[in-house]
Amino acid sequence: MTFAFFDWVTAENNGRYILEGFVINLQIAAVALVASLILGLALALLRLARHRAVSFVAGLWVDVFRNLPLILLILFLTVLLKPVRQAWEDASPSFLPESFESGLVVGALAGLILYNSAVLAEIMRAGILSLPRGQREAAGALGLGYHQTMRHVILPQGLRRMVPATVSQLITLNKDTTLVSLIAFQEVIRRGRSVIANAGNPFTGSQVEAPILEVFLFIGLLFVGVNLLLSRLSRRLEIRERKRTGTKPQRVAGLEDQLAT
Amino acid sequence: MTIVLANLAPLLDGLRITLSIAVLSFLGAMVIGILVAVMRISPIAPLRAVGLVYVEFFRNIPLLVLVLLIFLGLRDSGVGIGPWTAGILALGLYTAAYVAEVLRSGVFSVSKGQVEASLSLGFTYGETMRRIILPQAFRTVISPLGSLVIAMIKNSAIVGASAIALSDLLKVGRILNSRTFQTFPSFFWAAVGYLLLTVTVTVLFRRLELRYAIRR
Repeated sequence: MTFAFFDWVTAENNGRYILEGFVINLQIAAVALVASLILGLALALLRLARHRAVSFVAGLWVDVFRNLPLILLILFLTVLLKPVRQAWEDASPSFLPESFESGLVVGALAGLILYNSAVLAEIMRAGILSLPRGQREAAGALGLGYHQTMRHVILPQGLRRMVPATVSQLITLNKDTTLVSLIAFQEVIRRGRSVIANAGNPFTGSQVEAPILEVFLFIGLLFVGVNLLLSRLSRRLEIRERKRTGTKPQRVAGLEDQLAT
Repeated sequence: MTIVLANLAPLLDGLRITLSIAVLSFLGAMVIGILVAVMRISPIAPLRAVGLVYVEFFRNIPLLVLVLLIFLGLRDSGVGIGPWTAGILALGLYTAAYVAEVLRSGVFSVSKGQVEASLSLGFTYGETMRRIILPQAFRTVISPLGSLVIAMIKNSAIVGASAIALSDLLKVGRILNSRTFQTFPSFFWAAVGYLLLTVTVTVLFRRLELRYAIRR
């Protein structure tokens, strides 16, 4: 028993162990973000498609997955994708980080991507719709077809406008990666718990006890630090964008981190 | 369909508990959020700093970490609080940071002349806030507040799924799944419950907005 605060961090390898767990969370967030951006763009384009049925189905898909709790999706998909989990453990691609070898990553990533692609699709749609109609009309008058208009005129401008909102969404995504601890995926929260369980036990850990409050405060501050930098970045990008285009950024309903940047 | 009929009572109970967590946390979040927003815009620098630290801390920490911090951490430190208090406290404190930011943006949309007019009429700072600024600020932020309520309903599932033993909608779905092994219908009906809540809130806030919103 000691009275010093946070001395468990330097005892044994506790601090490093937790930091490495935090890196796993950041890796999950990065992989999920890249996949969600690709899928989200596809969903946004489908929703904006001229074909009524296509745009209706895409719209329904986006609205349903955007309005469900992410943790429900993660738990659901983890149970549902049990067969895929085994296959993944047998043949996971070697270029991914080591922690991704566990079969649990399948449900975790599937949930994160399903939810975030729906959210990003809505952000991208808002960005595209915020462009003045004249852009599309001018492209048409110049003889550009639908695909050419999208590729050379609409998307370069529309997607640029959604960059600040996407960075904000990355903050939410970072925080949401902690949810995968609830399917027993080994990341920062699980590591924190094992530090709590082992510290102070002379047989398995160090002599120094790690109070639960301090361990979770430490983990929380790691997230606060990274997310503060991201929100600074988002705000700066937004101000730059506003100066450049003279427009107000588009807000997407239902997203907490975009409400007040 | 049979699974929902056979288990209607626990599912409805779960819906009720989810709704209770959301409503109680939102009330708490409004109270704390208003206080923090007033601190954030107060003329006293130390108060502004406290407000800023509050917002940045609670907005950037994962809700799950906050729940564990409050529920397990406080109990470990000798402050024992029950699952309901811990869950509502965590969700309320977390959402209050967003409420504060939303309100602050609403306050800034009220023109400066109103503050000056009110002060020159002899209202104190507190009265100006309470009677002139905040009523107008609320009316400009109806739509973002609605977004917050929806996000909160979704976040309430995190409270139920963590160490806290509250039988909310998601928990009921998981119990059904482990009892009946019918994975798809169990989670599907829980999802339907959440969609019911979020769609209702969307409609409700759209109405409020049509009626009360000030467009600027």
